Amino acid sequence: MSVTRREVVVGALAAGALGAGPTPARASGNDQLELLLAFEHRLEAAYRAALAGDAVDLALGRSLLAQEREHVRGVELALRSVGRRGPRSSAPRGAPREALSGRRDFARFALALETETVAAYTQVLATLDAPDLLQPLGSIMTAGAQHQVALRRLLGEPLLARKH
Amino acid sequence: MRPVQARFTRRGALGGAAALALASCGGRDDPSSGRPQAGSGAGLLNSIVALEHASVAAWAAIAVALPEGPRVQAEVIGRREVHHAKRVAMLVRELGGTPPESRPQSEYQPMFPRLRDEAAALHFARDLEERLVRAYLDALRSLPDTEQRRVAAEIAVEEAQDLAVVALLSGGSASTQAFVTGVS
Repeated sequence: MSVTRREVVVGALAAGALGAGPTPARASGNDQLELLLAFEHRLEAAYRAALAGDAVDLALGRSLLAQEREHVRGVELALRSVGRRGPRSSAPRGAPREALSGRRDFARFALALETETVAAYTQVLATLDAPDLLQPLGSIMTAGAQHQVALRRLLGEPLLARKH
Repeated sequence: MRPVQARFTRRGALGGAAALALASCGGRDDPSSGRPQAGSGAGLLNSIVALEHASVAAWAAIAVALPEGPRVQAEVIGRREVHHAKRVAMLVRELGGTPPESRPQSEYQPMFPRLRDEAAALHFARDLEERLVRAYLDALRSLPDTEQRRVAAEIAVEEAQDLAVVALLSGGSASTQAFVTGVS
């Protein structure tokens, strides 16, 4: 039986959750992962709102929403491994009304949010003191990077940012 | 973009770049020589520099096998790989090491699969980028320094984007997986 990438990554995140208890040294890891979870919740809420408001292509929107839900579950598993302090107290912000006024507006908003999220992952992966979580969290970050390409294509922008 | 059917083996595609990476990373980074220190990450970084040099050569070969539109994308990706090699080589130098230098294209070429057509070139490109994504994600766990890990994470992002572009050029979707792990 073949093992999917999802099973491998979720397994790694779950193994981290089972094998590591909360320690004072990992307190900052909790904050870092809460930040990533907040971004993932925002993306999930944004794609859900865009689908409801016909502000995104149906197939792409469904695909990205499904992936964001997986990311939320993945980061939640990671949070367990560093000892999450408690449930979130606030509902995630979705997309502002102006971002849902048309497909181009939403794509632009989503691209900015995906870019901000990927940047947060690079920062967290550089400093997070939880070696077992770096690869699985990295595989979420790289999925976000591919979302950027999908959204740039929608916008008719160059697929790759021209930094080089 | 029109779908392209892949028509050659995965083993052939992976073999060249992998062999190059392994062959290129010995000798210049012996921790027993005094610098850099064992456990500094220099050995791993050197192996990545070697892989990036091979990737630059691979993308040059891939570009030649593609029609004009995709070729432009291949050239953009090739330039990104050049930049990656420089960034990682800089990390090695900061540790006091000497990164491996690139070799002439003619030395890499025999180690690549035959790229007879667009499909073969894109298949090779996909395998190459999958391998690069995995290399940087693996490195995250092993690199000891914050800046090294930041660079690895930033380049992993770009390799995943390159992989998405290859998927689009092949007639697929940019984003189909919730977890992009690459393959080794």
